Amino acid sequence: MRRWITESFVLVVAAVVAFPLFWMVLSAFKPEDEIISADPVPWTTRPTLDSFTRALTVANFGRYFMNSIIVALIVVALSILISFLAATALTRFRFRSRTTLLVMLLVVQMVPVEALTVPLFFLMRSVGDSVPVFGLNHLGSLVLVHLAFSLPFAIWMLRGFVAAVPVELEEAATLDGASRFRFLWQVLFPLVAPGLVATSVLSFIHAWNDFLFAKTFIISAVENQTLPLALQVFVKPDQNDWGAIMAGSTLMTIPVLIFFVLVQRRLVSGLAGAVKG
Amino acid sequence: MTAKGQGRTAFAYLAPALLVLAGLLAYPIYQLVLISLYDYGQEQVSGGAPLEFLGLGNYQELLGNQQFWGVLGQTVAFAAVCVVGTLLVGAFLAILATRVRTWVRMTLFLAALGAWSTPAVAGSTIWLFLFDANFGFVNEVLGIQGFSWTFDKWTAFGLVAAQVIWCSFPFVMVTLYAGIKAIPGEVLEAAALDGASAFRTAWSVTLPLLRPIILVVTIQSIIWDFKVFTQIYVMTGGGGIAGRNLVLNVYAYQQAFAASEYGLGAAIGVVMTVLLLGITMFYLRALRRSGEVL
Amino acid sequence: MRLKTLVAVLGVGAVVACAPVQSGPKNSGTDEQTGQVRVWLFDEVNRGPKEAVVKEAISEFQGKHSGVTVDVQYIQVSSRAERFKAAFSDPKSAPDVAEFGNTDLAGYVSAGGFSELDLSGWTESKDLVPTILDTAKVDGKTYGVPWFVGVRALYYRTDVFSELGLKPPTSLDEIAPLAREIRQRKPELIGISAGGKYLFAALPFIWANGGDLAKSDGGKFTAAIDSPQARAGVAKYAELIKDDICPPAACAGNGGDASVEAFRAGKAAMTIGGDFNRKSVDASSAAGKYAVVPLPGKDKGSVAPAFAGGNLLGVLKGTQRKTLATEFTQLLASKKYQQKMYAAMGNLPTFSDVQKQVADSDKFLEPFTKTLQSGTKFVPVTPAWAKIEAQAVVPTMLQEVVTGAKNVDTATADAAKTMNAAFTS
Repeated sequence: MRRWITESFVLVVAAVVAFPLFWMVLSAFKPEDEIISADPVPWTTRPTLDSFTRALTVANFGRYFMNSIIVALIVVALSILISFLAATALTRFRFRSRTTLLVMLLVVQMVPVEALTVPLFFLMRSVGDSVPVFGLNHLGSLVLVHLAFSLPFAIWMLRGFVAAVPVELEEAATLDGASRFRFLWQVLFPLVAPGLVATSVLSFIHAWNDFLFAKTFIISAVENQTLPLALQVFVKPDQNDWGAIMAGSTLMTIPVLIFFVLVQRRLVSGLAGAVKG
Repeated sequence: MTAKGQGRTAFAYLAPALLVLAGLLAYPIYQLVLISLYDYGQEQVSGGAPLEFLGLGNYQELLGNQQFWGVLGQTVAFAAVCVVGTLLVGAFLAILATRVRTWVRMTLFLAALGAWSTPAVAGSTIWLFLFDANFGFVNEVLGIQGFSWTFDKWTAFGLVAAQVIWCSFPFVMVTLYAGIKAIPGEVLEAAALDGASAFRTAWSVTLPLLRPIILVVTIQSIIWDFKVFTQIYVMTGGGGIAGRNLVLNVYAYQQAFAASEYGLGAAIGVVMTVLLLGITMFYLRALRRSGEVL
Repeated sequence: MRLKTLVAVLGVGAVVACAPVQSGPKNSGTDEQTGQVRVWLFDEVNRGPKEAVVKEAISEFQGKHSGVTVDVQYIQVSSRAERFKAAFSDPKSAPDVAEFGNTDLAGYVSAGGFSELDLSGWTESKDLVPTILDTAKVDGKTYGVPWFVGVRALYYRTDVFSELGLKPPTSLDEIAPLAREIRQRKPELIGISAGGKYLFAALPFIWANGGDLAKSDGGKFTAAIDSPQARAGVAKYAELIKDDICPPAACAGNGGDASVEAFRAGKAAMTIGGDFNRKSVDASSAAGKYAVVPLPGKDKGSVAPAFAGGNLLGVLKGTQRKTLATEFTQLLASKKYQQKMYAAMGNLPTFSDVQKQVADSDKFLEPFTKTLQSGTKFVPVTPAWAKIEAQAVVPTMLQEVVTGAKNVDTATADAAKTMNAAFTS
């Protein structure tokens, strides 16, 4: 009985949270004259795919979609690996300048991103002179910069999860004769997997939705544009195409949901695996 | 292991992260501090005009501006409301999520994920549509057509805060949920065997174990909400009627970046960072006093 | 934080560089006669027709010049600022020819982005409407060719006007009483949808009253927004954003987009909209129930000076093919291709004779071309204007007046002070 009440409440909350999303999808299906009308209704009698057609026929949609996916996935993979190692070091070892490092990791997140675009632009330009793939106009530059911006957060975040794993467990594993390497990847890694989910979803979303860096770094190589940048075509001073913006945003949200569904099992199964092993 | 050995292993683990961060963040931030000491506009960036060293001129201009202080106060208050709201909603729902069946939880998580992943511009726009004075669904349902949420300073801030909480509570919820789930079952079982009540278990076993994670989500929320840009920019039309809904990041954009005044913009960035650092250090100190070690 | 670490970090940094990075000089000095001409044009929602016209121009151009190819990239309007800034700082990524908004011109030129054009050898250029060509000039030097213009006029609902037995206004001072009467008799309607952030709707009121934003004296600008004439215009415009015409709660925060939106949704009897808003109004509930007249001026039957928005085609300073780039610019901006662009995209041409031709073939355009012919005006051509616009100086001033936070005299005086600070910095 109590559970029934809790569950109803949770479902109501879910509905409220999802309502703006519903409205977004609805707006994408509404004909142009209904999107903003004096008589707003939560349905439409004349659903149309016009807005989706406009969004999907953005030249090279598929190419830009793949570019965005590639950048986001590489960023997620690299940031998980690098931040896991760093978080372990910062939690399990005591060494000088450890606190300094931790605070520095916060500081770099505090700087307004806008303020960094100019120095980063020049940095990428010089990088490109020696390693073209990571320079301006290449996806590599986006990978690098998103990786850099996702790492400080990911390290802090995973630090919390590593810290939550009882030290006794590590001692037990060491007694069992597990090597440091095995302990790291076979015991600790699965244990912090739930933390990795939240971290990787966040990194994914940041890299996936960004267009500030995309428009700063990808200057002349149109083929290396990302999807959010391409969808900016609908944003125009004095004549925004709201239908297509909503359709585009709907399409942008789907891959994130898929990504979450794929990784969400790790939210709980991390521990179960470790205890059995 | 010896302290020295620990240090060496730690450094090996840290090396990749340090490499990326030093190159891609530390160096640009150093540049940022330099830029803030110069008159550095688009002409200077593209090499059309010589650099002019201003010393602390940009800082003087900024700190001598009355509007800046007003905006600063507003930003701190606004961020505080958003942080508290986000943490409360997120924590409450995370606890509820551990007590419902899988499909209910998945429904909640997917809805929350949708809110989280909606591109900020689209999310803000949708909220504006829903709360539009004349064409909005909310006013239609409430029967107050013509009432403008974005005109009055306080309802405008309230609406934006609600939107910010809407798209940032999912992170707190998912993280705390994961944190609760990561607590080894034996620990809780042991507590239960000792005869501790559910509340006692939550208070004296779960909460302390979650502390590092709560610390992280709090600090992260402070940082993000202090730097809110898109929501205010889109929902209050660039800072509200006559600029009364400005927050620091929008102010920085308006005063500096939109006009390519990178020198002044960098100065604002430095001041913001120092401020945030101060707030965070204060929070960490308070924690340390209560027994938390960093 | 450990001071030593910080000092060490800063020390390393100081060795790397002691001043912010700058881009080097980029004027190549070469002028090659073959190779690839790179072009940036703005992307459009349905750019097919635009692309087709451009392709036609390219094949004509390539036919005339052997060994020359033209590569076009379409960039988004909303990301143009970053793209152009990047292109100015990284010549390798820069195009030779680019389309850009005329309000961006002053900033781009002072950043050293575009090169001066000599149009004297181009016979068609004498037919360019002079006030429009002025939007391509900085300090008397021409940096682009106007490709098309956008201009605003008064949209009104024919059904509402005939129901109430009203006629569209014939002078600027008639607008407010007329709008007030409509709202009185039909309280669900906004008399005229004006916006507190709609600069381009407010400017004609200031100009028609003989005022201006700023005046230029040998290239040095001083704010003129606090002159008696400009104040009269500001007061006239602010009168529209009152509860009995366009309530501040609904209108004070509106820019151009939202102002026209209210008209589209059938909530407003009048608004100030551009020729480029036509398509969206025709796709709304106001479709078929509206007409357009020029925004009237101070005197009965006159036309208020309108803001001449529009896009230019220009040649970038770093180009290695200046002659070819200039020729291609002139071809794409020629009468022939402006006509084709009008047919494809509805873009208003910049030549007076071509304007007359298209207006004769499409009655809808008449109020707009009439507005253009009676003389348009522009914002101050100085990079400082970009700053004033970014700081929302004029919209803030209007909003202060309509919300009663300040009276016209104080608000304009404060705005003038901020503007002068930007002009002298």
